[in-house]
Amino acid sequence: MAQSTTLQSPAAAATHDAPRTGNWDGGNEPFKASYGKLMMWFFLLSDAFTFAAFLTTYGMIRHKHEVFTGEAKDFVFSTRWWPIPDHVFNAFPGMGEANVPLGFVALMTMILILSSVTMVLAVEAGHRMDKKDVQKWLLWTILFGSTFLLSQAWEWSHFIHGHAEPTIMADGTKLFGANLAMNQYGPVLFADLFFFITGFHGTHVFSGVCLLVWCFIATTNGTFEKRGHYEMIEKIGLYWHFVDLVWVFVFTFFYLV
Amino acid sequence: MASHATTEHTLTPGEIAKPNTGWIWRVFGILVLITAVEFVFVFLMHPSTLRNSIFIVLTIFKAFFIVGEFMHLKHETKGLIWTILVPVALLVWLLVALITEGSFIGEVLQNMFK
Repeated sequence: MAQSTTLQSPAAAATHDAPRTGNWDGGNEPFKASYGKLMMWFFLLSDAFTFAAFLTTYGMIRHKHEVFTGEAKDFVFSTRWWPIPDHVFNAFPGMGEANVPLGFVALMTMILILSSVTMVLAVEAGHRMDKKDVQKWLLWTILFGSTFLLSQAWEWSHFIHGHAEPTIMADGTKLFGANLAMNQYGPVLFADLFFFITGFHGTHVFSGVCLLVWCFIATTNGTFEKRGHYEMIEKIGLYWHFVDLVWVFVFTFFYLV
Repeated sequence: MASHATTEHTLTPGEIAKPNTGWIWRVFGILVLITAVEFVFVFLMHPSTLRNSIFIVLTIFKAFFIVGEFMHLKHETKGLIWTILVPVALLVWLLVALITEGSFIGEVLQNMFK
């Protein structure tokens, strides 16, 4: 029964108590996954509940509202119907009022997918105990993650300040941009859901970047090398991919559909 | 897809194995391709239930590759795979149920004074 776990190097195992091997004294690994990874999976599942709640709310509220039925080119912002996303998100940094429907969000999506790739590369390097490569790929991931956060900050700022053309309300007031109480794009809840869903996702990205910075410092200090494995990178990696996954869904349901 | 285990040849102490990253870039290529296809549909098709269904199917494909390959779930034990998939499937049920409910509430509200 004495299975050598992949977690402990022989050197590390020698310094600990004799390994527990029985099924009922902690020697058995459920699902052949380590405790840490398993708990990360369960945490991510519970986090998926949170985001599913957001997206379900979004779906229900959106379906509750009227749909704009005319041609897309005749579309105007109105509190009567739900806005068409490519009319709301059509600005690109440094391009003024040029109409680039979904251009910036495409770039953000690419940045996040790329950060996911560099994260797997860091995990792969960890499997090979290649400290230099782990550092390199972690730095790339931190760079892409921070770029995504800055892009989102720009996106929010543009959403809040609004387009150059205001939306004129029935009583003649001109409305620019958005806040939690009103917005120029459509029903009040449209902007609220935008702030809550992308904001919650952005918070996750921010936590991810913090964890990655900590991982980078620990790698540089040789913490994982001494431990004999880079499993921490794998666990943070799981979290990071999950954040990317959530963005894939937010992207579809908020920007495409 | 490619096996993720590093090559088993014996390494001398201090030696670092060669990187095995082909599969990672292949998955990246697939994800970029699917996203590109989504953008083609955004601009070439008028909004419709069919277009939305295409987006949802493509999104699930992307999720499959991210969770299966990047998060390695495809290569875990069956028990773990089901533990993750079953609750998520129930969430999809909730989503569909409440969207239907939303449509109904909308219909009632919009026709209230007709």
